[in-house]
Amino acid sequence: MKITHANAGRIAAVLYTGGSLLATLVFFTAATIGDYGWVARLGGAGWIFVLAMIILMPTVTPWVRERAGEQVTPAAHH
Amino acid sequence: MATKHDQHLKEATIPVAGMTCAACVRKVEKALHGMPGVHGATVNLAAGKAGVSYDPALCDVPAMCDQIEKIGYDVPAARIELLVLGMTPGHCEHVIGPAVKALSGVRDVQFNFATDTVTVEYLDSVASAADIKNTIRSLGYEVHDKGEGEAGLDRERQLRQAELRRQAINMLVAWPLASIVMLCTFSGYAPLSSFMPSWADDKPLLFALTTPLVLGPGRQFFVHSWNGLIRGVTDMNLLYATGIGAAYGIAVINTFFQDAGFGGERVTFYEAAALLIAFIVLGRYLEALTRGRTSEAIRKLMKLRPRRATVLRNGIETEIPADEVRVGDIVVIKPGDAIPVDGVIVDGYSSVDESMVTGESLPVEKRVGDEVIAGAINKMGAFRFEARRVGADTALAQIIRLVEEAQTTKAPIQALADRVAGNFILGVHALALTVFLFWFFAGYSLWFTTDTRLILTPYKLSELEVFGFALLVSVSVLIISCPCAVGLATPAAMMAGTGKGAEFGILFKGADAVESSSRVNTVVFDKTGTLTRGEPSVTDVIVAPPPPSETSRRDVSTVDDVLALAAAAEKHSEHPLGEAIVRGASDRGLDPPDPQTFDSVPGQGVVAKIDGRDVLLGNRKLMAERSIDIALLASEAERLESEGKTAMFVAVDGALAGVVAVADTLKETSAQAVRELRKMGLEIVMMSGDNRRTAEAIAAQVGITRVLAEVLPGGKAAEVRRLQEEGGVVAMVGDGVNDAPALAQADVGMAIGSGTDVAKETGSVILIRDDILDVVAKIQIARQTMRLVRQNLFWAFGYNAATIPLAAGIAYPLIHQIVSPELAALLMATSSFSVTMNTLRMRGYRPPIKRGPPTTQTQRAPEPQLAEAAR
Repeated sequence: MKITHANAGRIAAVLYTGGSLLATLVFFTAATIGDYGWVARLGGAGWIFVLAMIILMPTVTPWVRERAGEQVTPAAHH
Repeated sequence: MATKHDQHLKEATIPVAGMTCAACVRKVEKALHGMPGVHGATVNLAAGKAGVSYDPALCDVPAMCDQIEKIGYDVPAARIELLVLGMTPGHCEHVIGPAVKALSGVRDVQFNFATDTVTVEYLDSVASAADIKNTIRSLGYEVHDKGEGEAGLDRERQLRQAELRRQAINMLVAWPLASIVMLCTFSGYAPLSSFMPSWADDKPLLFALTTPLVLGPGRQFFVHSWNGLIRGVTDMNLLYATGIGAAYGIAVINTFFQDAGFGGERVTFYEAAALLIAFIVLGRYLEALTRGRTSEAIRKLMKLRPRRATVLRNGIETEIPADEVRVGDIVVIKPGDAIPVDGVIVDGYSSVDESMVTGESLPVEKRVGDEVIAGAINKMGAFRFEARRVGADTALAQIIRLVEEAQTTKAPIQALADRVAGNFILGVHALALTVFLFWFFAGYSLWFTTDTRLILTPYKLSELEVFGFALLVSVSVLIISCPCAVGLATPAAMMAGTGKGAEFGILFKGADAVESSSRVNTVVFDKTGTLTRGEPSVTDVIVAPPPPSETSRRDVSTVDDVLALAAAAEKHSEHPLGEAIVRGASDRGLDPPDPQTFDSVPGQGVVAKIDGRDVLLGNRKLMAERSIDIALLASEAERLESEGKTAMFVAVDGALAGVVAVADTLKETSAQAVRELRKMGLEIVMMSGDNRRTAEAIAAQVGITRVLAEVLPGGKAAEVRRLQEEGGVVAMVGDGVNDAPALAQADVGMAIGSGTDVAKETGSVILIRDDILDVVAKIQIARQTMRLVRQNLFWAFGYNAATIPLAAGIAYPLIHQIVSPELAALLMATSSFSVTMNTLRMRGYRPPIKRGPPTTQTQRAPEPQLAEAAR
């Protein structure tokens, strides 16, 4: 999918939410394998999701916007 | 009918300045057409505007403005300064900046957190001030126009006091409630258990006490962090919100769902959430207090300008608002009055205290023809003056503008601190995640014991399970790491430093000038007009002994006789040396007669007939051509020349009568300034266009050993560059006009003695007074300011950085204690408190060079050394 200024926000949201969910899933799986209780698994997963979102949102969003800018610039030559 | 594609096109009108003909119009149109997303561009030469139709997905107004400027035209933008309350550094610029920049027509947004100011440059044909203000308001901030002048400052002060009041109310709510929650939580422990009722630590009661705190004073942190997050930015508020949210969340679960496994009823962190809010609000209050105090310097300057003025209208003294004084009005000043505008005295005499404007410590005497400046206070006399500069053109207004502009700039160290703080927040969250994972998967099972306590509390955490424990440690890391005082550390110190400079007539044009000034290791002085007065004066008069064979000039036997004849010969001269001799004679009360004839001999001197006698005044060549024997005074002349003076022989009726020496003399404080700068470890260099012998003679008098002589005006910048290549961080001190290229080349260009027309000056620092000691004061203030910046950054980062490992549980395996979130919050508030107190120290600072008794106001030329050669 081509990244433009218009859809950069949506693409970024998909990426950071996806990344956070993935991290949460990895944690949940590890906690399940480690035989932790449900509270620890769910509570821990929730905390991991919050921290992962906080870390990924401000890093992914500018990165996607930057790429959108890079993809627009070459159009000037056409 | 518009096509679907056309429907999302936008129209914008961009003002374009600098177009002179149709070719310009075509050039601008072509440049705009060449941009991606521009569908149509029509330029109107007469209106000076370009109408553009464009696709906002591909192009925006700032890009079009840049394109127009790239091809050599200007896009004049309007500028609005807004007072935005509720901003926090490092965060709000990422919330407000993108939102305002997203408005069509906005070109630039700048922030000054120390003054809560947002400055927006925008095209008023595209965007409106109302749009900008509404956009910022919609983000949850309070927005007000920053008014002009004193009224604006008064309003700013009112709003700032309102902000202080708000934070004070938050404190009044937060602290008593948090203290009660704290007491209730520990009511079961001695000594509280002896007098506290047993129901005091009931969890529903603690819930009832803490919830208003979270929803009241604590609400701001959640609102601000959410506003940031939805725009993809994080800030300190997020650290607070996650810390408070996690502590409160666990407490609520353990109150109402005790079997959920988060530690049960014994483990509620209501007191942590409550004290966190209380400490953070305390930090906010202290920050608001610091911001108000640091703009004190500007407020002092603003207060100087009187609100009313008395002018002569139709011969009648009329009192009018000072703003309404027009250029050309005659203003009447009585004893004790403050001067409302700049002007020139046309009648009367007085002494005027200009200390608050120029830093000049003693009252200055003013006569007809002298300039007076707005803000100065008249002492005893009365006078009238003609208004020359009014309103925003007065020296005071220019100084205020310069100081304000300096205070809105960002020093390189601040940019670095902002960058570090910005990345720090992300890093802290990553660390909190790592710490959580470590204690969850490894640490808890390895080291957890039922004796676990929070540091400095008797509170046992024996029922804590793995998630609760790992979460507690993780939250403590988040809170303890928060560098909330970083955003304030540098700008607060810079504002204090630039304001302090203005008090002494030293104007820094930006925060970078302060930083560069503190790093300077080489000071280059221009000679003429900087170290010296810049105008020659008579230094020596030597009378030739009468040869026994001659009696014809016995009437020329004293110093006054020689000087009077020389002055008479030069009376109509326009040469600077001639003028110096005439001035020298006048200073000694002599009244030289008019010459009967006067003839200038280029490159040699003058020939005149005075009272029937032939008088020659000039150099060796003139004397040789007229066969005058100068042997009697040749050695004296050589000695004078070796001291950098210009020696001129005087001959009367064919016989040598004496020598008059003229030189550009040192300013009174030059030698002291050089000595002080040396003591500060700086290398001092003198640069001059004079020949090496003259330059070295002057340098020797002030104690400068490195002299760059015979440097042409155009070569000064190259010499500065050479010194920089040698590793010098160079400050160039010059008169600001002739030395402009060298001042621009230097790391710090200091224009000295600008007087009060500061706007004209080049250089990054302006010294209003013509006192070379201000160079010393400037470096001392800059060094003190940077010392303050570094100390503030240490206080802002130091506590937190040092205690992060403790919060992460590094000592837990040994002592079985962990840092409580409230202790983490206390450390954070201590940072803010330390920064605030440290910055306020600058208020009482005086540069060491200014601590002695005031220097003499009147700088007279030294008395000439007068001698009659003994023979």
